[in-house]
Formats: sequence, C-alpha cells, structure tokens
Amino acid sequence: MSSGSKHDPVAAEALSALVDGEVDTVLAQRVCAAWREDGSARSTWHAYQLIGDVLRSEDLASTASQDAAFLDRLRTRLAQEPVVLAPQPLESTPAAAAVRRQGLRRRRTWMASTAVAAGFVAVAGVVVVLRAPSGDGAAAVLASREASPSGAPAATVAAATAPQALAETVVADPEMQALDRKMLRDSRLDRYLAAHKQFAGSSALGVPSQFLRSATVDASGR
Amino acid sequence: MNAPDADAPLIERVKQGDVRAFEMLVVKYQRRIERLIGRMVRDVDLVPDIAQETFIRAYRAIPQFRGESAFYTWLYRIAVNTAKKALVELKRDPVVTEAALASRDDDDETSRVENELSDGETPDAVLASKEIAAAVNAAIEGLSDELRQAITLREIEGLSYEEIAELMNCPIGTVRSRIFRAREAIALRLRPLLDTREGERW
Repeated sequence: MSSGSKHDPVAAEALSALVDGEVDTVLAQRVCAAWREDGSARSTWHAYQLIGDVLRSEDLASTASQDAAFLDRLRTRLAQEPVVLAPQPLESTPAAAAVRRQGLRRRRTWMASTAVAAGFVAVAGVVVVLRAPSGDGAAAVLASREASPSGAPAATVAAATAPQALAETVVADPEMQALDRKMLRDSRLDRYLAAHKQFAGSSALGVPSQFLRSATVDASGR
Repeated sequence: MNAPDADAPLIERVKQGDVRAFEMLVVKYQRRIERLIGRMVRDVDLVPDIAQETFIRAYRAIPQFRGESAFYTWLYRIAVNTAKKALVELKRDPVVTEAALASRDDDDETSRVENELSDGETPDAVLASKEIAAAVNAAIEGLSDELRQAITLREIEGLSYEEIAELMNCPIGTVRSRIFRAREAIALRLRPLLDTREGERW
C-alpha cells in the first residue's frame, strides 16, 4: 500500500508495532533512534496515536499543531531535568547494544556474587570484632581483609571460618560484656561498610546485639 | 484480557535514559491527560499548564514506576494529584467531585459526555478537530473487512497481536501487517489535515 510518506516502510511498520508494544528491545531502540532523527517518523507516530485516540473517542481529535506545540513546550522543560537513572550512551547498531547488554549481565552476576560475599564479610566482621583480643582473631581479620575487595572466591574462605568462629563466640559470650566499649575493627572494613549502607545500618557490627545472639543459638543448635 | 502493557518497551527505554522515548509517550497520552484535567479544572487556560506539570512529575518519578499497574493508570493518578494541587494553590474548587471522577475512571476512553475541553479553543481548532474525526471515520469505513477488524480489535478492544491472531485465525505477522496497513490507510486520509505548517517541530 502506498503511504505517501517519505520514510521507508519497514521503519513505519516498526513504528506501528511499537504503538502496540509488540517489539523487542532492539527494535524499540531502533525506532526511538528514528524518532530522534527523522521528522516524518515523529509525524507518523503522532498520526498513529491520534488515530487510536479518535477511534476510541471522537472528542480526542486534536490538530497536529496543538499537539506539536505542547511537546515543544515540554521539551524545554525536560531539557532542564536530570536524565533519568543511569545515562548510557545510545548506540544505534544492534550489535553494540548486544555487547552492552552482555556487559550489563556480566556486571550483574559480578554484583550478585559480591553481594553474597558482602554478607559473609558482615558475618566475618562480627567475628573479627569479637575475637580480636584473642590470638586466634588475627586469622579472621585476615580473612575479612581478603574478602572485602576480591569478591566470590574469598567469600568461601570467610564462609568456611564463619561457622567455627560463631561456635566459639558461645564461649566468648561472657567476655563480650567487658569488651563492649573497646572495638577493634579494620578501617578498610569501615570504609567498605560506609559504601554499603545496608550493612552499616544494622547493629551487627557495632555493639554485639540481637543479630549475633540469634546466630549463636543457630550454631549451637546443630 | 491479559495483553501486556503496550508501553513497556518505551518505559524501558526511558529508564535507560532515553528522553525521546518519554516524548513518544507524551505524544501518545497528551490528549487524554488534557481532557482529564479539563474535566477537573474549569479554567481552560490552566489545562495545558497542569498537563505539562503532570508530565514533568511523571518523568521525575518514572524510575519508581514498577509496572504493577498500566502506565496510563499511573499517569492518570499523577494528573489527578497535580490538578488537585493546582486547584488548592489557586484556591479554586474543582467542578467535578472526586466520586464522579472515580466512576468515570473505567469508561474513560468511551465516555463522550462532558467533552467541554474545546470551550476555550478557537472555532478554527474546533472545526479542524471535527474534520479529523470525520476523516478517521470515513477512512475506517473505506477499509477492507480484514483491516478494519484488525485495527478495531487492537485499538478499541485492546487485544494483543497474539489474541487477534487467534481470533482472526492467521499468523501474528499477518496481524502486525494488517494493523500497519490499516493505520497507513487512515493516516493517508489524515495527512492533509495534519500538516503543521511548522513541520520542523515534529
């Protein structure tokens, strides 16, 4: 069907599919790029949307110049807004997009394992705090030092030491009251926790409390 | 009806920092949002301002949009809140009660009563709008049954391509192509009416 429009029909069909949300992410990106560069893509998008509105309700019929003026005015305000979320460079080729997505995925898996590691670091941190005065504590300090910057492999070290250390805290418990005010902590752990507020927020690494006791009960239950 | 939110791909783009995707959503919803606000605020001069504010607020809040409701439902709430706030600030009273608004929530698309938004528009604009509506209706009449059915099931019934394919007993690719051809046929009739003169704006 001859459309009378200047843009290529594949792009227009993609626009039509995007109106209905029936496109994948790669095509959506391509159509958005077309909207960016191509005035006829913009007027086609407007026409398609207007058709839908008028089909549903005739009183939504509106002239293009009114609608264009509205967007034009909004654009100047949008330009002053900070860009939503993480601004990423917009690449036009699907290949580049795929590479970027892969990178994202890799980063996500890395972050997931780091999150797990961070959990163990938190536990190890408690252990460090508790056991620092005894000679044995040095090993645990070492473990947490290794765990914080390097991620997953070190986490297994921390995990391995954790149950044993927790079991020992049962013994250490009475002693704890006396040590309350003298906390020995790795300053790098502090920095790490400052950057990960969800751990810093809990009392687990401050004065020994709820968190520690329930963990102790759990360990002795085995 | 369990059609996925048609706006999901665009919202995803906006969340990745693509402002143009948000502009596309504005072009889609601007008329409905203005009509909604026009029902709450009698002063037609205020309507575009409140609509602008609505979209700015939506843009700021979009990282928090989780897709639990349809995007339009979410936007609708922002528009109502923005209009209420504007009315409080201006110490004016809404002309429509909240209850009346809520009851209209569902049939928003089809309700044709109280379409008073055009009050403050120029007679020329009103005439142009009527011409557009007439052109769309005439173009729909002129479509083949297949194309008309496809576009109607999509735009009025809100079915997904998959559901339409089932109903029309054809592949999804055919649905996609029929809807596109229907839109192009209607747009062809509309284009002479839609010339903006300042075409560079689009």
